[in-house]
Amino acid sequence: MIKPDHSLLQLNRRQFVQLLSSSALFAPGLASAAQIAQAVRDPAYQNLADPWLTIAEVQQHLLPADAQSPGAEQIGALNFLQTMLQVNNDPQESEFIQQGVDWLNQLANKQHQADFKQLEPAQREVLLRRIETSDAGARWLSILMTYLIEALLSDPVYGGNKNRRGWQWLEHIPGFPTPSADKVYFKLGAHASSRRRTKA
Amino acid sequence: MSQNNDRDYDVCVIGSGAGAGPIISELSKAGKSVLVLEKGPWLHNNDFFKDELACCRRSTYTPNLQDEQHVLEEAGYDGQWVSEASSESGWDFWNGNVVGGASNFMSGFFYRLKPKDFHLKSEFGEIAGANVVDWPISYDELEPYYSKVETEVGISGRVVAHKFQEPRSREDFPYPPTLEHPVVKIIDHACQQLNLSSLPTPRAILSRPANGRNSCEYSGYCGSYGCSSGAKGSARAALIDQAVASGFCELRDNSHVYKLKSDASGKVIEALYYDADNKPRAVTAKLFVVACHAIETSRLLLASDGPRHPQGLGNNYQQLGKNLLFSAGGSGTGEFHYDQLDRLDMDGISADALKTRGPFVNRGLQDWYFIDDKAFGGQAKGGLIDFLLRHPNPISRAMSVRWNSDDNLNWGDALKRDLKSTFTSAQDLRFEVFNDWLPTDDCFVSLDKNVKDKYGQAVAKVRLGYHPHDLKVGRYLADKAEMVLQQMGAKNIRSSVSGSPPANLVAGGCRFGNNIKSSVLDANCKVHDVDNLFVTDGSFMPTGGSVPYTWTIYANSFRVADKIKTLL
Repeated sequence: MIKPDHSLLQLNRRQFVQLLSSSALFAPGLASAAQIAQAVRDPAYQNLADPWLTIAEVQQHLLPADAQSPGAEQIGALNFLQTMLQVNNDPQESEFIQQGVDWLNQLANKQHQADFKQLEPAQREVLLRRIETSDAGARWLSILMTYLIEALLSDPVYGGNKNRRGWQWLEHIPGFPTPSADKVYFKLGAHASSRRRTKA
Repeated sequence: MSQNNDRDYDVCVIGSGAGAGPIISELSKAGKSVLVLEKGPWLHNNDFFKDELACCRRSTYTPNLQDEQHVLEEAGYDGQWVSEASSESGWDFWNGNVVGGASNFMSGFFYRLKPKDFHLKSEFGEIAGANVVDWPISYDELEPYYSKVETEVGISGRVVAHKFQEPRSREDFPYPPTLEHPVVKIIDHACQQLNLSSLPTPRAILSRPANGRNSCEYSGYCGSYGCSSGAKGSARAALIDQAVASGFCELRDNSHVYKLKSDASGKVIEALYYDADNKPRAVTAKLFVVACHAIETSRLLLASDGPRHPQGLGNNYQQLGKNLLFSAGGSGTGEFHYDQLDRLDMDGISADALKTRGPFVNRGLQDWYFIDDKAFGGQAKGGLIDFLLRHPNPISRAMSVRWNSDDNLNWGDALKRDLKSTFTSAQDLRFEVFNDWLPTDDCFVSLDKNVKDKYGQAVAKVRLGYHPHDLKVGRYLADKAEMVLQQMGAKNIRSSVSGSPPANLVAGGCRFGNNIKSSVLDANCKVHDVDNLFVTDGSFMPTGGSVPYTWTIYANSFRVADKIKTLL
């Protein structure tokens, strides 16, 4: 018998709406030198445009790859995020995530006269920790982190955890059976019924 | 306008979980025409997967909180009650709105109540501030039905004699215990040293195939997940599928009942519901059975006012929704670090064995089900300790390291280090404490005056007060459980006991009794002053016992089915 936790993903609606209305910069900043963009390695990431390019760069900073373990790119974190936003079909959520990119780049330009994607890792770290000190910035990072962790460890059918790399890295033994593409959660249960109802 | 072009059924059952299953099954077997109205969809074994997003991180088996929710009221620091809608807080009180209800998602960890649980007030006396009462029936009246659940729903286990073993009419369980995790060897060893009776946990999970259902496949993911093999004794897999196949039972899913209409004589004449297309419909029956999970059952009856029941069905003495129960107690953890096992007396259990996933940690302790200890304050009702591994859900596990010690988000190399460590360095053995949630005037269901669901109906408002005695008992038991972990050599042992209610362990609200002024149901679980309305989920329980409710709910529903058969 498991006594479940409150869902960490569930947004507090009231706070969320408040954040949307306070669309100021994350935090004021100091100026510094522009930097050269970091090369993107995975071909799937090569033709990205903003906001997705910046989001992919942020994801890679939050979950970097190293010799022994996969990073955001290797697990398909961007693909997972895009899939979830499409499934959720919540304009407020999508807009908030995109707005965050604008705010991040505004701050990057103010401090470094360059977009986030052009900064060095150390500069990125300072900038992201800086925006974390504002409520909106912390919320934005928290949403990205939640989807990133889900991308690392959910069933690969949802587009993350590519080739089960997340499970393999953490020596996780998955259960069985695992879901087929026609039985993912948004095609079952409450989701399926509410869809049927809106059509009727 | 609702339309009624249906036939007149013998019985209309509202809900399809553990409280409904035996009624549906028994009355269908008796050749009665049974209509089941279930608000959720009808998912089958082949719709259930080990998919953490589906089970535990999205509202797949429960309503979207924007559409349907609860208002929860907790004690604030200044002594005032503070209420918050669950769509605001995210605190979800739904438990599985699908055919079979929450029984689809249990871990099947089953215990009977004990004879003394049926008369706690006589046994241990009054507790100030609590509404403890004796039950109107005895253990002996329920025993044959506990036994029936063992065969009909299917319970696996092994009876071991101990000082609080309840009487049984059958010598042992009809199915042998489910496979056991290697860690039980160390638990047993520690308990032996401490002179405790470590008991095999009975489970409503088939350990061998029976009645067209498969045996457990030991995937290692059970609680919170729907069962794909059919081994788990959900009301759906164990009872309802067969009832529908018999031809006597019709089941309508996505059918949300919002009111029971009663006539001038006070009898229920129609169930009003919204169908899958949101169209209002009505159905008539000779007799109605409500089993929608405790909170929603009280809500439905409160919303069902009529000429003889101006404040809701069965609420002429303001008892409806009162004395709601949860499970009191808490939980704790101890760690076994794989690189330190050689320093422990592990009975030859290796790290690889500890990492085993699949079999159950079938061990519990009832040594303090009744307490007799001067240090505690003499004789008192205690409770149960259950051992289990940390739930294998990886996302929730990873979420536990998402904040660093400075309360900032954890990311980058530090996050990766913490993830690697939390997943690969130790096995966590957990325990859960179950003790009575005393019924009080501060824990009840009412209708919220402002918040409506998507159908425009008032949602349930739940006041979540608890009695401080619950924490005293919970702490006493948690300390005992920590002692066992200590004896086992676990590291970093900690536990927490709180008055925060587990939303998946609810009962009460329509307690049964002999007096209409202090109870909603009579001893047969019929609403006192309604001739054709029964309530058969956990709502009937005046006190909850110190075990999960499901076995008792199943047993009582079988008992009430026998009473109803004599009326139809």
